[in-house]
Amino acid sequence: MSTTPPLLRASGVTMRFGGLTAVDGVDLAVRENEIVGLIGPNGAGKTTFFNCLTGLYVPTEGAVLFAGETLPPKPARVTRAGVARTFQNIRLFANMSALENVIVGRHTRTRAGLLSALAHGPRYRREERESRERARELLDFVGLGGQADLLARSLSYGAQRRLEIARALASEPRLLLLDEPTAGMNPQETAETEELVRSVRARGVAVLVIEHDMRFIMNLCDRVAVLVQGTKLTEGAPGEVQADERVVEAYLGAPDDEEEPTPRSPQNRERTA
Amino acid sequence: MIPKTSTPAARALVVCGAALSLVSPFLAWTWTSRYPGNLTVYGYPGGSQLLTLAGALLAAVFTAAVLGVPGLRALAPAGAVRALRAASLAALTATWITVGAIAVDLGGVVNVEPGGWLAAGAVLLLAAGAHALPDDTVTEPPPAARLPRAAEGALITVVFLAAMYVLTYGITTDSAQDFLAFLPAAGFGVRALAAAGLTARFGALTARNRIAVAVAALASALVFPFTQTGDQYTAIADNILVFAAVALGLNIVVGLVGLLDLGYVAFLGTGAYTAALVSGSTFSTFDIGPWPFWATALLGMGVSLVAGLVIGAPTLRLHGDYLAIVTLGFGEIFRITVNNLDGTSGPRLTNGPNGINSVPNLTVFGFDLGTRHTLLGVTFGRFANYYLLLLAVIAVIVFVYARAGNSRIGRAWIALREDEKAATAMGIEGFRYKLLAFGLGASLAGLAGTVMAHLQTNAVPENYKFADTAPPNSAFLLAAVVLGGMGTVSGPLVGAALLYLIPAKFAFFSQYQMMLFGLALILMMRFRPEGLVPDRRHRLEFHDEQVAAAEARRTAAEATA
Amino acid sequence: MTATDVLQLLADGLVLGTMYGLIAVGYTMVYGILQIINFAHGEIYMLGGFGALFVYAWVPGLRAVSLWLALPVLLVAAVVVSVAAAVAAERFAYRPLRGAPRLAPLITAIGLSLFLQQVVFNFFTLPGGSVGVTAPVPFPQLPGEPLHLGGVTLSHAALLTLVVAALAMVVLTWFVARTRTGRAMQATAQDPKTARLMGIDTDRVIVVAFAIGALLAAVACVTQGLRLGTISYNMGFIAGLKGFTAAVLGGIGNIKGAMLGGVVLGVAEALASGLLPHLPALHMFGGSVWKDVWAFVILIVVLLIRPQGLLGERIADRA
Repeated sequence: MSTTPPLLRASGVTMRFGGLTAVDGVDLAVRENEIVGLIGPNGAGKTTFFNCLTGLYVPTEGAVLFAGETLPPKPARVTRAGVARTFQNIRLFANMSALENVIVGRHTRTRAGLLSALAHGPRYRREERESRERARELLDFVGLGGQADLLARSLSYGAQRRLEIARALASEPRLLLLDEPTAGMNPQETAETEELVRSVRARGVAVLVIEHDMRFIMNLCDRVAVLVQGTKLTEGAPGEVQADERVVEAYLGAPDDEEEPTPRSPQNRERTA
Repeated sequence: MIPKTSTPAARALVVCGAALSLVSPFLAWTWTSRYPGNLTVYGYPGGSQLLTLAGALLAAVFTAAVLGVPGLRALAPAGAVRALRAASLAALTATWITVGAIAVDLGGVVNVEPGGWLAAGAVLLLAAGAHALPDDTVTEPPPAARLPRAAEGALITVVFLAAMYVLTYGITTDSAQDFLAFLPAAGFGVRALAAAGLTARFGALTARNRIAVAVAALASALVFPFTQTGDQYTAIADNILVFAAVALGLNIVVGLVGLLDLGYVAFLGTGAYTAALVSGSTFSTFDIGPWPFWATALLGMGVSLVAGLVIGAPTLRLHGDYLAIVTLGFGEIFRITVNNLDGTSGPRLTNGPNGINSVPNLTVFGFDLGTRHTLLGVTFGRFANYYLLLLAVIAVIVFVYARAGNSRIGRAWIALREDEKAATAMGIEGFRYKLLAFGLGASLAGLAGTVMAHLQTNAVPENYKFADTAPPNSAFLLAAVVLGGMGTVSGPLVGAALLYLIPAKFAFFSQYQMMLFGLALILMMRFRPEGLVPDRRHRLEFHDEQVAAAEARRTAAEATA
Repeated sequence: MTATDVLQLLADGLVLGTMYGLIAVGYTMVYGILQIINFAHGEIYMLGGFGALFVYAWVPGLRAVSLWLALPVLLVAAVVVSVAAAVAAERFAYRPLRGAPRLAPLITAIGLSLFLQQVVFNFFTLPGGSVGVTAPVPFPQLPGEPLHLGGVTLSHAALLTLVVAALAMVVLTWFVARTRTGRAMQATAQDPKTARLMGIDTDRVIVVAFAIGALLAAVACVTQGLRLGTISYNMGFIAGLKGFTAAVLGGIGNIKGAMLGGVVLGVAEALASGLLPHLPALHMFGGSVWKDVWAFVILIVVLLIRPQGLLGERIADRA
C-alpha cells in the first residue's frame, strides 16, 4: 500500500438523530486515484455517511479529514475544498439547460460578483467564456455534447445521471462521491457508467461510490467497504468481501426497505413537483 | 359546425366575411354621437370601429395565407388557420361588444344603424368560416431566413412601435366601452400572431439582437410623449411606469430566486418616505433638502436596502413559506408605523395618515422636472419629464435584471430556485445569494419609490397597502409579475400595464374590482399559471407533459439533424 | 400599574390568545399535511362570524329568545358556512394545484382571500339594510353582568372563549390520537406517499383537515364577535396573520403548539400594549395601534432564536 496520506480519512464518524444512531463509528479512507465502493443493505446508513462527508450533516462524533485538513461543516466549503457529489435521486436544475447545469457546477471555481456581472468587464467575459468552454468539454466527456442546450428535465434518465456527474466534475473535485449512480439503469447503461467512472479516475479524480449493483461494484472498485446497521462490517478487495459470509448474511437478513431512517417532518419535506 | 368536406364553402365564407368586415368600419354604426368615439360617419372609421378594422385586417392577411396567396404563406409559418380563427375572434369580440354596448347604452337595438348590423354579421360569417376550415398547424415550422443585421434591427423597431401603438390606444381610450372591446381584441390579436408562429420567430429574432431590442424598445417608448398634446395620458403612463418598475424589481426576487415577497410595496414606500423627508417639503419633519436626484435616489435605495436586509436576514435561512408570512407582516408593520408616527400615537416623523405633502419636483442635473420646455415643436410638461426619468429608471432595472440574471449570480439564483439542496452541494451559499437578491430587489423598489414620491408630490400610508383597488400594492405587484410571466422582462411590463389600466378604465365597476381580481388570480393559477408571457423555463415547470413531449420531439429532430 | 392591572392584562391576553390558537390550529393542520399556507384561512374565520350574524338577523324568532338559547344555532350556522367555504376552496382551488410549484397555491390563496372578503363586502345584507357591508356591523351581545374573579373582570364572552378553546383542544387531541381518521391524518402528515400506498384516502384526510380548521375558526370568530360587539368584512386579514404567527410560534405542524403559540402571542400583545405606555423610553409605542407591530416583532425574534417554534422539533434534512 501507498505511504502517502489518504485523500480522505473518516475516523469514528457517528451520526445520531435523537435516539437513533444512523452511522456508528465508521472509519474509511480513500486514496488518490482510487475507486472505493461502499455497499450495504438498505437502511445501513450509507447515504447518511455520505452526507457527513459533504457537510450536509455535522457528525455527532468523529472527524473527516480531506487532504490532511478537517472538512468544514458547510457544503459550499466542502465543494470548494475539492469534494463533489451526485445524488441518489437525481437532483438536477430541471429547468436549466444541460450546459447551464454544468456551469453552475463551476460556481466555486469562478468569482464574478454582482458588480462585475453588471460591468461586464474583460475579466468577467473571460471567466464566462472559460466556464462555458470547460462546461462544453465536460459535456463532451460524458457524451452529452450534442444536447448542451436542452433543458435538463427533457433529457433521458441515463443522460440525466451523466449530466449530474458532469456537473459534479465541473467543480474540479479531487474526490467524487457517487450515490447509486446506476440505480434504475439497464445493463447497457450500467456498463457505460462503469466506463465513465473509470475515465473519471483517469482524469485524476478519486471516486467513492455507493451502489447496490454487486457486479458493478466488483468490476470497478479497488476496495469495498460494507456498512451494516450503521457500522462497518468489513473492508477489503472486492474478491475478499464477496467471499465474506457475514456480508451475504447481512444482505439476506435485512428485509428493511427504508434507505435512511430519518423521521420525516413537515419542515423539511421537499416539494413534490 | 360545418363538416370538413365543405372546405370550399368555408373558404367562401371566410373571404366573404373578411371583405365585409373590412368594409363595415367605414359605415355608420349608430345615428348619434352620444355613443363615445363618434361612429356615425360614413367614409372613415372612428372609435371602436378601428378595433374591428384591425381585427379584420389581421384576418384578411391570414385568409390570404390560407388561400395560398404567394408570399403571404410565409406570414404564418406555424399554420394559418388557427391564426385566422384567433384573428376572427378578435374582430368578432370587438364588434359584438361595441354593437352590444351601442344597444345597451342608447336604449335598444333600434339605435344600431345598418353599418353596425353589417359589421356584426360579417364578423360572424368570418368566425364561422374560420372555425370550419380544417386545422393546418405545423408542429415543426421551418426555420426563418436570416436577414441582414440592419433589416432585423428595423423589423424589431417596427414591431416595438406597433406594440407601443396598441398600448397607447389602450392608455388613451376614454370610454370604458371602447376599452372593453379593446382588451379581447388585443388578446385575440396577440394569440393570432402566436398561433401563426410569428411570436416564436420574433423571440428568436430578439434573442439574436439583444442590443437592437434595447434600442428599439427605448426608442418606441420615447415616441409616446411626442404623440401627446396634454398631460392627461402622460400621467397615466407615468403611473404605469412606476408600477412596472417595482414589478420588475419584484421579478428578481420572485421570478429568478423564487422567494415569495408579500410585502414588497413596503420597500417602495420606504424609498418614497425617505425621498419625501429629504425633499425640503414644508411638511417634512426634517429641515433638510432639497437634495439633487442622485443623492435622494442613493439614500432611498440605501434605506430600502437596510430594511430589506433587516427583514431578510432572519427569514431567508428558513423555509420559504416563512418568508412569505414575515414579509406580509413587514408590509403591515410598515403601513401601521407610517400611519402612527404622527406625534400623538408615536414619535412625529411621517405625519400619520396625512403623510408628507407638497413634495417639490425633482432636480436632475440642475434641471427642474416641474418646468415645461419645448423639444422638436412638442411641449414637454411635468409628466413628460417624469416619463423620461422613469424610462431611465426602468432601463436601469432592466439592465440590472438582464446582466445579473444571465451571470454567475443569476445562475446561482435560478439553481437555488430549482433545487436548493443540489445548489448547496455545488457550493452555492443559499443564504448569501438569497439575501443578495432580496436586498437588490428592495433597493430597486426604493429607487422607484424616490421618484414616486416626487411624481405624486406626496408620501401617504394608503399608497402602500397589501391589497387595494388600485396599484401599486403588494397583491397587485405580485399579480403583475405572475400574470405577466415570472422570470421575463416583458411579462411584468405587460402585467403592470393591464393591472393599472383595467381598474382605471372600469372605474364605474370599482365596487366589484377586488372580488374579480381575487377570482382572476384563482383562475389564472388554475388555467394559465405561467402567465401571459411565459418564460421557457416556467412554461415547462407548469405544463410539464405537453411541453415535455414537444421538447422531446425537438430533441429527436435535432439528434437526427 | 398595580398587580391587579397586570393580572387583568394577563387574563385579557389569555382570552385573546386562545382565540388566536383556535385560528392557528387550522393553519397548522393544513400546513402539516400539505405544506401550503392556506392564506384564506382568515377569511374562512370571518365567514363564520357573518354566517352566524346572517342566521341571527334573518331567522324569525331567534332575536326574541335569550342569546344563550340562540347561541347554539349561531354556532352551527357559523360552522356550516365556514366549513362549506373551506371544503369548496380545497376542492376547487387547491386540489387542482397539487404538485404544482409552491408559488401557485400561495397565489391562489391570496386570490381566494380577496375574493371571499369582497363577496361579503359586496353582498352581505341585513334586514332593512342596503346590500353590502362597508363598515363593522354590530354583533349580538350576551346578556348579564361580567364576572369578577379576584379583581380580574371577565365578560361572559371571554369565559365562553376559554371554555370553548379548552374543550376544542381536548376533543381534537383525542380525535387525532384515537380515531381512525385522526391516525390517518398523522400518517399523511408524516409521509403522504406511503400513507396513500397503505390505503389511506389522503384526499379525504385533507378535506377533514380543512374542515376541522374551519370549524374551529368559525367558533373563534363567533366568540370574537361576542366579545368585541362588532364584526367586519376585513377582520380576517389581521386575524389570519396572527393565527399563522401563532402557528409558527408554537411550531408549525404541531396542534398543541398552535394553541400554545396563540396564548403566548395573545399575552405578549396584551402586555406590550398595556405595559409599554408605562415605560419611559417606549411609552410612545404602547397604544393599541402598535400591538400588531409587536406581534410581528415577536414572530421575527422567535424565528431568529428558535426557528422550529416553541414545540417544534429540529430534525435533520434529508439529502
